[in-house]
Amino acid sequence: MPDFSRVDRRFAWWLVWLYPPRFRRDVGLGLADAIEDRMRVSRASGSGTLGAAMPLMFDTLRNAPAEWIRSVGDRPPRDPHAAAGGRTMFDTVMQDVRYAVRLWRRRPGFALVAILTLALGIGANTAMFTIVNAVLLRPLPYAHAERIVSVWGRASTFPRGLISYREYQEIRKQTDMFESAGLWLPQSVNLTGVDEPQRLTGTFVTGSFFEVLGLRAGRGRLFGDEDSAPGTVKPVAVITEGLWKRRFSGADSAVGSTMILNGVPLTIIGVLAPPTDAGATAGDGYFLNTDVLIPAAQFPVPHGLEAAGPVMLGVARLKAGVGIARANADLDVIEKRLIASGETANATSNSSFTATAGRSLYAEPAQESVVGTSRAALMLLFAAVGVVLLIACVNVSQLLLARAVDRDREIALRAALGASRATVARQLVVEAALLAMVASAAGLALGRLAIAGLTWLRPPSSVPIPTTLPLDGTVLLFTSGVAILVATLCGLAPAVRAARPDLARVLQAGFRRGSGTGRRTRDALMVVEMAMSVTLVALSALLIQTLLAVQNAPLGFDSSNVFTLQFRLPQNKYPKPDDIARFFKTAIDRVRAVPGVESAALVRAVPFSGNGGTVGYTVEGRPVADPASMPQATFHLVTPDYFKTMRIPVLKGRDFSDRDDLQSTLVAVINETFAKRAFPNEDAIGKRFTTPQTQGPITIVGVVGDAKHYTATEPPRPQLYAAHYQVPLIFSSLVARTKGPAMSVANDVRKAIWSVDKDQPMWSVISLEDTVARTQGEPRFLALLLGIFASVALLLAGVGIYGVTSYGVAQRTREIGIRLALGASAERVLREVVGRGIRLTLVGAAVGLIAALAMARLATTLLFGVTPTDPVSLAGAVTVLCVVSVVACYVPARRAGRFDPVIALAEE
Amino acid sequence: MTLRTVEFHVLLALAAEERHGYAILQEIAALTDGELQLEPGTLYRALHRMLKDGWVVESARRPAVDADDERRRYYRLTPLGRRIAAAEAERLSRLVSIARAHRLLSRA
Repeated sequence: MPDFSRVDRRFAWWLVWLYPPRFRRDVGLGLADAIEDRMRVSRASGSGTLGAAMPLMFDTLRNAPAEWIRSVGDRPPRDPHAAAGGRTMFDTVMQDVRYAVRLWRRRPGFALVAILTLALGIGANTAMFTIVNAVLLRPLPYAHAERIVSVWGRASTFPRGLISYREYQEIRKQTDMFESAGLWLPQSVNLTGVDEPQRLTGTFVTGSFFEVLGLRAGRGRLFGDEDSAPGTVKPVAVITEGLWKRRFSGADSAVGSTMILNGVPLTIIGVLAPPTDAGATAGDGYFLNTDVLIPAAQFPVPHGLEAAGPVMLGVARLKAGVGIARANADLDVIEKRLIASGETANATSNSSFTATAGRSLYAEPAQESVVGTSRAALMLLFAAVGVVLLIACVNVSQLLLARAVDRDREIALRAALGASRATVARQLVVEAALLAMVASAAGLALGRLAIAGLTWLRPPSSVPIPTTLPLDGTVLLFTSGVAILVATLCGLAPAVRAARPDLARVLQAGFRRGSGTGRRTRDALMVVEMAMSVTLVALSALLIQTLLAVQNAPLGFDSSNVFTLQFRLPQNKYPKPDDIARFFKTAIDRVRAVPGVESAALVRAVPFSGNGGTVGYTVEGRPVADPASMPQATFHLVTPDYFKTMRIPVLKGRDFSDRDDLQSTLVAVINETFAKRAFPNEDAIGKRFTTPQTQGPITIVGVVGDAKHYTATEPPRPQLYAAHYQVPLIFSSLVARTKGPAMSVANDVRKAIWSVDKDQPMWSVISLEDTVARTQGEPRFLALLLGIFASVALLLAGVGIYGVTSYGVAQRTREIGIRLALGASAERVLREVVGRGIRLTLVGAAVGLIAALAMARLATTLLFGVTPTDPVSLAGAVTVLCVVSVVACYVPARRAGRFDPVIALAEE
Repeated sequence: MTLRTVEFHVLLALAAEERHGYAILQEIAALTDGELQLEPGTLYRALHRMLKDGWVVESARRPAVDADDERRRYYRLTPLGRRIAAAEAERLSRLVSIARAHRLLSRA
């Protein structure tokens, strides 16, 4: 039998080491012996080492922590002024810690309230920081992501536009600021040759796209620039890991197999390896929210990519050490040269919406492109949870302060006996620090729960919430930082006060309580708390009003009972406009025949779906404007009955008819705003205009009401409806007004379209009402969250003022008793106590209103239909706070009014 | 006041003679016919408390040389510990009498 004695000895000591030092000193040797003995005996009776060790480890796990807790709480603190006697700083602090734990054990209620309050604040902040960190601070999940930039084409009307292949080529040729540059564009692709035709999200990319992001193949290979150059149509594709798992169940045979995409068989040559820590940042979906990557050469544009004008997104990687400003200077020169040479972005394009003059290229950090829109909302929420935390700190500070005041006599006595003021202050600070630490641990747990809760509240896409939450160094660092801040805030006021105790006064007061000191500090804290609550309540009131305004804003159409879906015809199956128009007409007729469908029409971009475009126009007989300053209208393609289906009123003239087809003259319907701007004091019907996109003049045949297209909050814009049968494009959508619930016709409508073409995929099968509701996600989410924060703040403030008032009343027991004895009425006492609370509240409210105004101005971009100075919101916030405050004061005040003078006086 | 089970058993185990830690564990197991199998940590926490409260002390004396393991620390009852054990035994015996009186125990 091998000699285990040394192993056992070490194991025993290792376990003993887990006990507190004092315990080890007293009985450590004995315990180690006993553990060793137990090991030996277990072995002798046939157990293996592990079998023998397990019960001993459990034993230690159960007893060592218990012994620690006991050792911390039980030992009486030595006299603080013995501190000079050669003890280390650590000993001193440990002694304070023990003292604090003892106090908590004596009053667990206090400790619980304080820790819960702080944990709530810290948890909310940790959760919000985790999101802000993931969305705004963490780099995108690619190697050296800080060097990845988006390259935009800026037009006078649209700052973040697409760029052309020609521009891309020039960028690669003329500047050496970039390590690599690429083009990409996500677009739906049809997957056929399978049981049920499907829509996949494809991304058309140049081979260099992979290089820019630093992507590699997990299996097989990626395609290169030579495979994606226009004219060299290589039938290959790379799929993402998501699709590989979903469609191929992760089988090896996926690489080398063929998928029919947009009617073209493509060979899968590789599976993309997911970027590092995908999912941890919200930004990973920006570039790679896709199923399949297809060479850009196959991008479906009529005359090929080179002739198509700006149709793709630009992305590039800066060389190490190159600033974005230098790259932008180069980009500026490149575009100026292009314009001067006449080879402009849209010279050969007939589908471009881009004006030439005034066009420029620029790069911005890709991170900025990803998070730009969420910043305002996130920062507002972050500020709000910060305020909640401050209120929590003030509350705990109040609690500690009240207790410090209670201990005035003890502290003063100790000070008189020689304890330095620093000693007393240190003890309070240590207690606050301990509270902060325990609360932070609880806060971290709460924070994770909060994140789960947020996901459950269905945040809008503009407030992206990462799918996995790393509890990483950054978050831990933040939480520790918050804990230190909390400790300082909570401990400061009591400590400052304790550091200058009014010895003479406290001692003189003898056994009387209620020295009344500390009142001013408490009042000041109270005012701060009130002010912060008013700010939050006012802000959330503004956002709730925004939400209501958004929900009640007239859309210009009736979204109830409208069924929608989107589809895209394969270009090679429907090569000519005639083919597309024929499909449109047949499909519409079949859908109209579906039972439950009242009317149906096609529209290129369903309102609120996010799709759409604009076009410049020139009214016939008026001077042709420079393309950059040409008046713009949003551009829609619709079939007859669209206005009827959407219930958009036809104000003048007529709707399109089936006779407005490829053979007849081009006609258009405009909206009221278009008519007012282009034809003030004139009848628009019969007028003609041209656009760069269409051949020949277009005649206006009708005027319809304004309808919102992107958001409920957009200002009225000129809108131009062209006849879909005259401009048949492969992307289109169906809208159908139903007799019953919109989605009840879903299956029948899809079958009707499959009866025209069994290979036709459809997607975004959704009711119009839901489509509209989705765009209101952000105001709803913001209002909801801020509402929650404001409620918590209000609750904390209520608890705070209740505590302060109760405490004040308790302190004044004697005074109130005397006054009652001398004949003051209970009512008078009550009025006075409540009046005091109200005065503090009003001061706080005034300060809070100023803060609310300042914050609301910062949040202006998030408001709609309400001004930052909205009197209803502000007055409402003050009223709510006053009500809470009166209730919180009334309860202790009534108690004061009921004092029995005899008892109140005897108590002293 | 009532005594914790562990502590009472330790007092009982030390009533006859002074013992070292592991011997206490064995003795308790023997006294209870193996029903109470303490782990070392539990025992030593109890011992630590009892040492502080002066119920037991570390023994300076050693048993016979051949039975001795020189490393070991032996514990013995103090007069206080003995009194406490006696008081607890008295209390328990009163409880047993009551239980008998109510015919909860079969043997008279």
